[in-house]
Amino acid sequence: MVCVDDGSRDDTGDVALRAGAHSVRHPVNLGQGAAIQTGVEYARRQPGAAVFATFDADGQHRVKDVIRMIDRLAGDDVDLVIGTRFADPGVVTHTPLLKRIVLRSAALLSRRSRKLGLTDAHNGLRVFNKTVADGLNLTMNGMSHADEFIAMAYENHWRVTEEPVEILYTEYSMSKGQPLLNGVNIIFDGWLRGRMSR
Amino acid sequence: MNWIQALLIVSVLSLLVYLLRSRRNARSKAWVKVGYVLFVIAGIYAILRPDDTTIVANWLGVARGADLMEYMLIIAFVFTTLSAYMRFKDLELKYARLARAVALQTARVPEER
Repeated sequence: MVCVDDGSRDDTGDVALRAGAHSVRHPVNLGQGAAIQTGVEYARRQPGAAVFATFDADGQHRVKDVIRMIDRLAGDDVDLVIGTRFADPGVVTHTPLLKRIVLRSAALLSRRSRKLGLTDAHNGLRVFNKTVADGLNLTMNGMSHADEFIAMAYENHWRVTEEPVEILYTEYSMSKGQPLLNGVNIIFDGWLRGRMSR
Repeated sequence: MNWIQALLIVSVLSLLVYLLRSRRNARSKAWVKVGYVLFVIAGIYAILRPDDTTIVANWLGVARGADLMEYMLIIAFVFTTLSAYMRFKDLELKYARLARAVALQTARVPEER
């Protein structure tokens, strides 16, 4: 377990270390995309690392979902398993309505998401193998990394699949969550991304 | 010569001196400097003979030289803003990589249990 402390001012890193996690601390706050990249770079240099899982540390994901996704990775010949809240339209999810509409539209509007058959690109729960971990190079520091992740999967021909997961919208995770208006930033970053030198 | 003409010429020339004296990455910025020298020549000409800009403006279907100058200023401003934004993004990425290198060097491993 690796905990990336993105320059927080409390003792998050120490608490995680005492709980048994490797603690990696950004000296300054960089954003979620940068934190994921740091965590993966740390993990992929550990000897024997084969399966990687990224998740938001606010308690919104369930361990049993991760375990099922790891099984999928081993069983179905894929490189990357992404959690989805919207696998089956019939199932009632606990995602708030407005958020659901925005997230569904984002997935439908993204050309790459459609081609890869993804329904929920902005899910923080991902499980992947060493191929993906070694190839990962997120340059969007903020919240636009989810689209960048999909774009990389598309460009590198990683085999992607989805696994239905439940998101626990606790009061804490809602308070830490991104405002929907941030979608504007994400779209803008998506346009810009093609021009970035990598 | 009007006072405003003298003032404008002095400011354009001092900008030129400032630009030519800046030494950082001289080779890659060489074309910028060439462009700036051309700009200074055209600028001084336009300051001394402002009515000539109106002739150029008329060629392009603009009534006054001053209007043409304003359009060019807007284009230049947008261009500068965008290039500054792109450079800023590049710097942000470099900064993130630097911070990441520090983070990876100072990683703490939990005690074995």
